[in-house]
Amino acid sequence: MTTASTETVIAPPRTKTAALSATARRKQGFQHGGWFVAPFLALFVLFVIWPLVRGVYLSFTDANIAGDSANFVGLDNYREALQDPQMWDALGHSAYFTLLVVPCITVLAFLLATLAHHIEHAKWLWRLCFFAPFLLPSTVAGNLWQWLFNPGTGMINHVFGIETPWLTDKSYAMLAIVITTLWWTVGFSFLLYLAALQGIPDHLYEAAKLDGANAWHRMVHITVPMLRNITGLVIALQILASLQVFDQAVVMMDFSPGPEESTRTFVQFTLEEGFTSYRVGYASAISIIFFVIIAAVALARMWLLRNREETAR
Amino acid sequence: MGRPDLNRRQLLGGIGGLAVAGSFGFAALGTGADALASGADTRVRYWNLFSGGDGANMIAMLDSFRKENPGIDVKDSTFQWGNPFYSKLAMAAAGNRAPDLGVMHLGRITGFSPGRLLDPWDVDLLAKYGVREADFNPDLWKRAVIDGELYALPLDIHVQLCFYRKDVLKKAGLLDDDGRIVPVTSTGEWFDVLKEAKKATKKGLQAIGLWINDQNFQWWFFVAFYTQLGGTWFNAANSEVTFDTDKATQVLEFLRQHITDGYANPGMGSVGAEQFMNGAPFAWEGNWSVPVFSGAKLDYGATPLPPVFGKQATHAESHAFVLPHQSERGGATNEAAHRLAAYVVQHAQQWAAGGHIPAYTPTLSTAAYKELNPQSEYVSAMDHQATEPKVWFAGSTGILAQRLGPVIVSSTMGSAKPEAVARRMKGALTQLLAMKNPMDGQTAAQGGAVA
Repeated sequence: MTTASTETVIAPPRTKTAALSATARRKQGFQHGGWFVAPFLALFVLFVIWPLVRGVYLSFTDANIAGDSANFVGLDNYREALQDPQMWDALGHSAYFTLLVVPCITVLAFLLATLAHHIEHAKWLWRLCFFAPFLLPSTVAGNLWQWLFNPGTGMINHVFGIETPWLTDKSYAMLAIVITTLWWTVGFSFLLYLAALQGIPDHLYEAAKLDGANAWHRMVHITVPMLRNITGLVIALQILASLQVFDQAVVMMDFSPGPEESTRTFVQFTLEEGFTSYRVGYASAISIIFFVIIAAVALARMWLLRNREETAR
Repeated sequence: MGRPDLNRRQLLGGIGGLAVAGSFGFAALGTGADALASGADTRVRYWNLFSGGDGANMIAMLDSFRKENPGIDVKDSTFQWGNPFYSKLAMAAAGNRAPDLGVMHLGRITGFSPGRLLDPWDVDLLAKYGVREADFNPDLWKRAVIDGELYALPLDIHVQLCFYRKDVLKKAGLLDDDGRIVPVTSTGEWFDVLKEAKKATKKGLQAIGLWINDQNFQWWFFVAFYTQLGGTWFNAANSEVTFDTDKATQVLEFLRQHITDGYANPGMGSVGAEQFMNGAPFAWEGNWSVPVFSGAKLDYGATPLPPVFGKQATHAESHAFVLPHQSERGGATNEAAHRLAAYVVQHAQQWAAGGHIPAYTPTLSTAAYKELNPQSEYVSAMDHQATEPKVWFAGSTGILAQRLGPVIVSSTMGSAKPEAVARRMKGALTQLLAMKNPMDGQTAAQGGAVA
């Protein structure tokens, strides 16, 4: 971020020439680079931009799954969605999941990274163990934990000698999904932390040691502040990913909305409206609403970050 | 930059072109090979959703059809069960790329825009191949008729059953002289039976597994007992909710009592079948569990759900053949589709091995069927079907089940009071009745799709 600020300082006197050369460079660049990017751009437009535009259009219609005879209904879908208790329930479940997962995963990833960073023996084994689950497809992770949580034959209840109906009682179901998600995705944040830990210069710790700081002080006053940026990144990425929770939840619940509809996520609700109720127009409106919510979260984060930087400056 | 650069581009372009041309070539080869493989004159494309044991039985029936009808090539495709299948079928029918023959749940027909996404059966053509209305249970046939046209040809009904372990019940003195469970005609008698059975149950097992936290099973059981009480859903015009909250409350309290009296363990909701195999005396399951229990060589029997409210009725859905809409349906392919469906319906003895009750009633009176056990013990379910109302939002895993199922579970599990749940169910039914079918923009009353 410091580079950006220096640029603004030098920029004014050269604005014109810089802009000119930039356009020229861009033009020239496309001649060479354009064709290399073209295949990607074509696919991007076909599978991302076009569906997005089409989705916005559909959200103003009463289109059904068969795609025939759709009528323009204006804002009716949006009006209905905002009054739909099921939508708010689903949004609540996704938000609740996010609220549980984000702090847990951040703390856990940090602890695991610290552990892996300080352990001397079999370094690779620790890293592999913590990161490997992240490589599994969501269906595998979901099925695996479905078995582990099985009330009669599952390992969890067996090992702890308990009889908890993990997946079939509404007070545990979301918790079970959260535990699965932690195990499955902590590896990614773990890796980010581990890389950042290795980037902290040793001389800081040495100086602190000379000044008599103990391990706890070094952690609180050096490690944690030095990892501030990466923590911000981990939290932001986790919030965005957790709000979109879908696959592991539906796999673990066999595509049902969970015990007493306690684990129906927002994405699942959209899917159900589109492909069970066949209301593609309504489902499109819901996903646009969701898009706005996620975009708002991302923008809020950017705004917060900028404010913080400005106060820091 | 200069010549070599250009040459490299030409080379890359050439490779790219070859790749594209090659893929077209493979595509052409694909269709060619497909056409070559079928030496037959007529090809019937048939989509179904049967996997596992049902899938194997279906393929065996198709194979024997192929052997007897070498002139017809059956190209069958199996899709993933449930909503993915229905979505695909709907889109194919709307886009005029539908298969010649398909399978659906009978309860879903009304909501599937019959006449637009489904074509009616030619009843005369079916009769030519040996299938007549008289061969079916009249109520079942009537459910397949919409606006006077037959839109589905029932292959089976599949029902909810009360499975019991003969070895355990014998110890408890609950078997009659024929080795079958003693008849039960009231809730009091039913809980007495459970009480006795529990005494003979091994430690660590529940007395009965009844899927207390599964929204589908709880919904099916509710439909069965609510029908036993004579409860109704809507008036004849589908314009008013006639749901009886008092009767519903009775049913919900009955289901709940299995937990409060300690016969079903809330932690064991989803493992009723495993517990049954390990020696639990009772399990309420779909008839598709028959091959599982028979395969495990258990000494068991199965009856329709007990008539605890005085009248026989158990939940039934039906797999039925449909003709997905094709704008140019007709000719030899269409006739072959009729022929194939009629053949499978009449040769469903193999299908009965999967526990389903064949819809073609002459099959039920054959000696071979009567020898099947426990199938012959619950065959009476054909005459006592409890079904969902005939509206567009009903049917297997349809909107009705998805809305009401979880509400029923909340009562059975004890997180909501039965009376409150009954009222909530009525509220949901009122909402659904006012809802428009996205397929044609009409409410259940406007649709009037009742025979």
